[in-house]
Parts: sequence; structure tokens; C-alpha cells
Amino acid sequence: MDVLSSLMDGFATALTPMNLLYALIGVILGTAVGVLPGIGPAMTVALLLPVATVLEPTSAFIMFAGIYYGGMFGGSTTSILLNTPGESSSVITAIEGNLMAKAGKAAQALATAAIGSFVAGAIGTSLLVVFAPIVVQFAVSLGAPSYFAIMVLALLAVTAVLGSSKLRGFASLGLGLAIGLVGLDFVSGQARLTFGLPLLSDGLDVVVIAVAIFAVGEALWVAAHLRRTPLQIIPVGRPWMGKEDWKRSWKPWLRGTAFGFPFGALPAGGAEIPTFLSYVTEKRLSKHPEEFGKGAIEGVAGPEAANNAAAAGTLTPMLALGLPTNATAAVMLAAFTQFGIQPGPLLFQNEGPLVWALIASLFIGNFLLLLVNLPLAPVWAKLLQLPRPYLYAGILFFATLGAYSVNLQAFDLMLLLVLGALGFMMRRYGLPVLPLILGVILGPRLEKQLRQALQLSAGDVSGLWSEPIAVVVYVIVALVLLWPLAARLWRARRPRTGGLVVADGPAVDGPAGPAAAPSVEAPAVEGRPVDGSAAEAPADRGPDAGRHRADAHANHGQEKS
Amino acid sequence: MTSLASRLKGRSELGVAALLGAVGALVLIDAARLVVPYSQSDPVGPKTLPIIVGGLLLVCAVLLAVNVLRGGRGEAEAGEDVDLTHPSDWKTVLPLAGAFIANILLIDWAGWVISGTVLFWGSVWALGSRHYVRDGLISLALALLTFYGFYLGLGIALPAGLLEGIL
Amino acid sequence: MRGMSALRVAAVAAGIALMASGCGATGKTAAGPSTSGASTAPLAGLRIMVPNTPGGGYDTTARAAAKVLEDEKLATNPEVFNLAGAGGTVGLARIVNEKGNGDLAMLMGLGVVGASYTNKSESKLTDTTPLARLIEEPGAIMVSKDSPYKTIDDLVTAWKKDPSKVSVGGGSSAGGPDHLLPMQLAGAVGIDAKKVNFVSYDGGGDLLPAIIGNKLGFAASGAGEYIQQIKSGDIRVLATSGENRLEGVDAPTLKESKIDLVFSNWRGIVAPPGISDADRDALIATLEKMHESASWKETLKTRGWTDAFVTGDEFKSFLTDQDKRVADVLTKLGLA
Repeated sequence: MDVLSSLMDGFATALTPMNLLYALIGVILGTAVGVLPGIGPAMTVALLLPVATVLEPTSAFIMFAGIYYGGMFGGSTTSILLNTPGESSSVITAIEGNLMAKAGKAAQALATAAIGSFVAGAIGTSLLVVFAPIVVQFAVSLGAPSYFAIMVLALLAVTAVLGSSKLRGFASLGLGLAIGLVGLDFVSGQARLTFGLPLLSDGLDVVVIAVAIFAVGEALWVAAHLRRTPLQIIPVGRPWMGKEDWKRSWKPWLRGTAFGFPFGALPAGGAEIPTFLSYVTEKRLSKHPEEFGKGAIEGVAGPEAANNAAAAGTLTPMLALGLPTNATAAVMLAAFTQFGIQPGPLLFQNEGPLVWALIASLFIGNFLLLLVNLPLAPVWAKLLQLPRPYLYAGILFFATLGAYSVNLQAFDLMLLLVLGALGFMMRRYGLPVLPLILGVILGPRLEKQLRQALQLSAGDVSGLWSEPIAVVVYVIVALVLLWPLAARLWRARRPRTGGLVVADGPAVDGPAGPAAAPSVEAPAVEGRPVDGSAAEAPADRGPDAGRHRADAHANHGQEKS
Repeated sequence: MTSLASRLKGRSELGVAALLGAVGALVLIDAARLVVPYSQSDPVGPKTLPIIVGGLLLVCAVLLAVNVLRGGRGEAEAGEDVDLTHPSDWKTVLPLAGAFIANILLIDWAGWVISGTVLFWGSVWALGSRHYVRDGLISLALALLTFYGFYLGLGIALPAGLLEGIL
Repeated sequence: MRGMSALRVAAVAAGIALMASGCGATGKTAAGPSTSGASTAPLAGLRIMVPNTPGGGYDTTARAAAKVLEDEKLATNPEVFNLAGAGGTVGLARIVNEKGNGDLAMLMGLGVVGASYTNKSESKLTDTTPLARLIEEPGAIMVSKDSPYKTIDDLVTAWKKDPSKVSVGGGSSAGGPDHLLPMQLAGAVGIDAKKVNFVSYDGGGDLLPAIIGNKLGFAASGAGEYIQQIKSGDIRVLATSGENRLEGVDAPTLKESKIDLVFSNWRGIVAPPGISDADRDALIATLEKMHESASWKETLKTRGWTDAFVTGDEFKSFLTDQDKRVADVLTKLGLA
């Protein structure tokens, strides 16, 4: 087959010692910048462009591809170990990954992340090779109405992760939405919540927010309650993944890939949303849901596969159509231009050998990353055995460095501090962190897509379902919302089995998963609304019941950062 | 008596409710001064989302206050390094925040090498390490390495500040 | 442990750094004469600021210019740095604050003019010392290959009939070049600017799928980014907005189509206010030499940039005129 022979030629080019060296440099450099919050593959490639112009285009692009994939790997390492996500697509990994690390399973978390990333990268790149034209056609057919529908679905998924106290979850979501509002309104150009500070008119970057709330907040919190008495050292545990870990990881890897690739290929998709959707899906489908919130391996395997698949997905429209779907792709396109190569639909025809060598090096880079990262996983895990002062000082140091180096403005550090204080407060008072991050990510996108959709249809609301994909997604949304109701009705028709009828309903509640378990107590006390998403109805039962409820949820679905 | 005691007990979390209310009010006030230039083509306008968010925050603020006054309580986060049996140890947090702030103040005029050293050294000291010389050397090494690493590797020139010309 | 990854980066970077400058990370390395005085000496310590992120349009232009300056020995070790934010107004504020600094320059363009109004910036481009305009790019009115509009006249007729039904897409938000073009076009054909249904996209990459997917009435943006899609037929250009036809694009200009509008997105270099005349002359002379050099001509060709070189006072009056045009459009919309 033509494709296969072109790919083989590509491998021949990419496997020369010189190009392998560039691939190696690329992946190492990519991993290093992925580790740092703030600087990412996009900025790195942009900064290296002048330097790279002296190289052969093929070699330069091999290096850039290595940087790109490497960035995804590096971001997960610090997410897991230090709760300092290096990339926005690694934010979700930090949730379960860091908890696993704290439970002594850092090596497993890193391993599942590395292998999952590799699997997803390999599958994604293969999909890129085989399906590029179809994917691109699909990607281009989506407009604002479809994207809005997808955002609505994502918002619905947020209700699944509000934590044990829905009220506090919503409060956190509200704060996240408010933070997402900061900046210039996209349509009318007016400043919102910028208080006259020009530096705020571009809004607040989600990685800065995540780093501030996760890492800086945690450092402050630990400082406030540092355990002074010597602790029984939690053994780092076995360095490799056990059979159980493999069994629990492989399906999330595949599902994560399925989420990540399409979103990466979609112009307005991005890598954050598929990681989040993967997380929620794994939580729903997991056979060990009680582990979510304490370090569940599925919660790392899925999102990590998703973000690497998204990276491969992003390259598909870039190579096939000259359409960049994220900042790194945009910079790589600029790189093409610098070499005098015109990216676009004719790229495969005009520069076939270069493109195929690039794709071959994606496979190679992916493999190199696995080779480099997997054996190092136990070594990195030892990092956690550093004495606490050094560990947390180091976290602050690197968070500061990363945030500062993006703009070289001390203002960004002030933001880190203020948001870090917010993170501190949230930890103190049990406000879950995930809804806040999701509010920051989803809010602006929801608003933008809704307004664009209405603009394109000249204010006509029916424009919102004018695209087939939009309709499909809304049907899914309706199903997700109505499923618990339908299930409850269906069960009500069956012969009653004592007091379990009321409790059964919410147990199948899609979005309200974790809150379902304790509702078994509900019938014993009084007829409270069984709908899991009710706000704090139990509050009227007085202080004792309130505390009891809180205790029951102590380790349950409380979304720790 | 019970209600007064419980009200006093839950007071600190009322601060959260107050914060939510303040942010909500801020969002609404900020939205009020916005103009809607394209009402035909952009029916949603720049004000809609802020109004919804502000409203959501105010509602949460009220509900949270009610919840706290009736004894509900958010769970403080636990962890292996965290010992919740004592109240917050401000003698540690404040110096740590201080080291961070010192970095912010120093970075532009004293340069990263100095401010980064202060940041790391101050942080390890705040968190309990008392090996002053060793820590100082480690801090300096980290700051220097990252300074050169960024410049040579990425072309990002972190501020040299007072050490301009020497490095 | 953590030192290890930093060491790694440093070691690897050292390899790359063979091509980069040497170990003198700070301090002036040039030994040449200072910039005041004779204009033929290479400029020492020149720093060019880019008011947006690496990889963006201004950034690539600045770095290309810096490279030519260095290769042609017109400047020793020119440094390019980024100061992004607020559409370029953060950089603008910085330049205006560095009064009298003869070693600093900023690369900017039409986008910064608009941003200075929509961001309510206190500093305006007219406060700076204009040095030279470097390149320009006329805009293009584009539609997807499936669009019902075959000529610019079709489009204008439909547009005038009901402006709200013909959505216009651009890669910038209000005040940016892609917004200014359709607004001025509307004015030229007699449509009220407030009735124009402008949909902003986040740059060329965000706009492209909307054009190709036929989601818009039409798009107004630079054609340079989309040359390949135009060549492959996925995008059709109905008209271009330059003085002359665009090379490689088979479409009439607006003027040819009896629409009285000439519009270009341009990029230029300015310096802080209050610099000495000697400094200013030296900078301008250097830029003139750069413009005449073979490597600059080569760069223009490789990148597909159109030469639009004017300096000094001519550039100054151009800037003032552009500033006024933008202010007019934005005030009409209530955005300035």
C-alpha cells in the first residue's frame, strides 16, 4: 500500500543516527519543559526556531515533534510527584496521580502514565496515518453550535465531581467561573474584572491557576500543619506495575485514547476536556469507585492516555490541512514557513518525504520517551523521600520559575501568591478544587461558543441545533439527565424490597455518583428529596446530623487536589 | 445558648461565605458597567454570564452561611504530611509566604540568582530545616543552574539584577 | 534529585548552545563604538521588543530582522525579547516609559493601534518615535468553495440587503486588523458599521475551519496564511484590498471592483519617545541598510512578505493617519 511504503521510507530517514540524536534531544528537552509549569512545548519550539533554521528541515521537525510529545510526558511527572501540573492537559492527572504518590504508589502512577501515554501516542499516530483525510473532514464540519453542545455535556459531567458537599462544589465552580471571566470580552472587547490592570486583560492562565491552587496552596497548607513528629516512612513500594495494575489500566488507556484523539483533532477541542471526560468516565465505570479520592490508578491511566492521544490528534489537521488546533501546532506551522515550506492541504504532495519522516519520528519519539521514562519511574519516585522542607521549597521554587519565565513579569508571581492563598483557604474549609479548575476552563469556552453560535445564526436560537453533531450531543445530554429518572420509575414498578426502593434510585444516578452511597441513610431519618443533586437539604436536620454526614464523607469523593 | 455557641464555633467558615458573597457582588457590580453594543447579533451579550455567575456565588454564599450556622462543616484536607490536631501554625506559614514575597520584590532589581536563593533558603528555613550553610549553598546552586540553563537552553534571560555583567 | 533535571537541560542545551551565543549571559559583549555619532558603525546593544508571544507574527518578523542585522554586521548581538499582553499595549506602555533609551525598539503593527483603543491604553503609538515601516499585507475577502457567492458583487448585494444575515469572520477581536477591514468595507459600500455581524476568532488557525466549513458569510483576513488552501481550492478569494492584485491569487482588487477602499495590515518598528536625533538617525540608517541588503530581500521572498519600506517622517504621518482611521471606526462602534 502506498501509505505503508511511504511510512517505511519515512522510518528509513528518521532512523539515521543524526536524526535519532535530534529525536533524543527533542524528547529530553520536551520532557524538561513539560515538567515546568508555564513554559511548554509551544514556547520552546518558538524559542528554538531561530536556532533550528540552520538544521535540515527534517531534523528540525523531528526535534520539534520530540519536544511536543515529550512535553506531554514531562507534565505528568510533576503532576504526579509534586502536584504541580506542567501542562494544562496534566491538571486532571494531578488529582489521582498525586494521591497515588502520597499513598506510596508513585512508581505505579508514573508507569501507568508512561505506558498509557505510549499506547495512546502509538494508536493516535497510527490513526493519523490512516485516517487523516476523514478526520479532517469531520473536524471541519463542526461549528460553534456543536462545540457549545459538547461544552454543555462537559458541564453536566462537572456535576459528577462536585464532591460530597454539593453546595461547596457549586461554590467552587462559581469561583472558577468568576476567575474565568477575568479579561477582555471576546466579542465586544470590553474589560471584565480587570480593575484597570492591563496585565489582566488577557485573563488568567489555567496552568498558573492550577499550579497556584494545587502546588502553592499545598505548600502553604503543609506549612501550617507540618507534622513535626517523625513519621513512619511509607515505603515507596514495588517499583513496577503489578498484574492488578495492568488489569485495571488497559481499558482506561484505550478509552482515554478514544476521548483524546477526536478532541485533539477538533479545532476548538483542546486537550483538557478529554482528560476530564476520561476521568469522569473512569470514575463511573470503575470497579473500585471508593478509591477515587485516594489514588485510583484508572484516574491516571485514562487522562494520561487522553492527553497524548490529543497531541497526536492535533497533528492530524495540522499536517493534512495546515490547520493548527493548538499553540504548539501553530508554532510548528510557523516553523514550516520559516523553512520556506508552505503548510496546507498540499503538504503531503509537495513535501511527502519530510512529512512521512516526521510521522515516523513521532513513533520513534514516543518509543524513546517510554524507554527513557519507564525505568526512571522508580528513581523519580524516590524524589518523594526528600525531607519535607526541601520537597516543598523545591515545589515553590519551580512553580515560581515556571510562572515567571513565561512573561518575565513579577505580577504573575503575585497571582501565584493570591491564588495560593485561595488554595490554602479551600483546603482548610473543604472546598473541592476540581470544580474550580473546570469552571476556569469551561466557562469562557461555553460563553464563547454560545455567543458565536448565535452570531452565526443572526440571533436565531434554532441555530443551536442546526448541526448534526450538536443534535447528537444534546440527545446524549438528555439521556444522561433522564436516565436516573427512568431507572427510578422502572424500579418503582417492580415489587418493593423494603426500604431499599428509595435508596436504589440515586444509586444509578449518573452524575451524582459518590453522593449516592450515603443516601441509604436517608429513608431512616425522613423523606428528604432523593434527587442526589439537591442542595444541602440535610442541613435542616440540625448540627448533629450535619456532622454525621460530613464524617461519612470524610474519605468519599471529596475531591482532593 | 447552644445556637450562640455553635454560631461562634462555625465563625471562621463564615469567612468563606463572606468571600463568596464579596466575589459575587464584585462580579455583579463589574458587569453593571458593561455596554452591550451588538444586541441584534449577540443577544447573549457580555453581561449574561457575569450576572449568572454573580448570582450563583451570592446564592452559594447565603446557603453556605446557613449551612455553617446550622453546624455543617467543610472537611479540612488531610494528608501524610499534615497533622490536623493542632490549629494552623502561623509561625511556619508566614515566613514561608514571606520568602515568596521576598522573591517577588527582589526578582526584578536584585536578579533571579539572588531572589531565587532567598526564596529557596527562606522556604527550607521556614519549613524547619536548620542546616543554614548547606541550605544556602543548595539554594545558590539551584538559582545559578536554572539561570544559566534557561539562558543557554531556551534563550530566556532571567533578570540578572545586581549581578549584571558579572554572570 | 531536582538538580539532575536542571543539569540535564543545561548539558543538552550546551550542545544546542554551540549555535547560540557564548557564556556571556549578561553584560554588553560588543566592543564597537557607541551608537551616537557616525551612522555606519554597527549598533551595539540593540534590543528589539516584541509585544506578543513567541511564534506570533510580530515575533517572527522581529527575529528575522534581527538575524539579517546580525548577518550583515549592522548590529552586534541584537537581542529580541517578548513582552506580551493586552494585544500589545503592555509592550507599548513599556516603550513609552523608556524615554530617551536609544538602544530599544519595538516591532509593532496595525493590531497594536487598534488594541491601544480597545484596551483603553494610556500610551498611544503616536507617543513613540516612528522609525520605519517594514512590510505589509493586503487583506482578502474569502469564502469557502461551497459558498453561494461567486463574485464580490454577489456578496455586497446580499450583504446590503440584510447585513445581519451575512456573518463576517476575522482572526482578531474588535479593534484588530481583521475587524477593521470589514468595518471599513461596510463604510465603503454604505452599510452601517453597527449592523455588521462580526464574529471574532482567535487567530488565523481558529478562523480557518470556519471558512472551510462554510460556517460564515465571508471572512476578512490576510491571505498569506491561507495561500495553500487558496491554491488547493478550499478557499475562494472574492477580492483583495491592496493597491494592486496579490501575486498568485486570481482575484480583483476592491478598487477594480469599484469599491473605494485600500487596506493593508502592516508591521513596523518604533522607538521610545525622547531619544536623541543622533540615535534616531543611526537607527533609521541601520534599518535602511538592512532593507537594501540581499539577505533581507531573500527573507522577504522566503516568507512571502510584501516590502513596504518607509522611514522617518513619512512613516510618522502614516502612523498618525492610521491611528485616526482606527479611532474613527472604533468610536462609531462605541468601542473606543
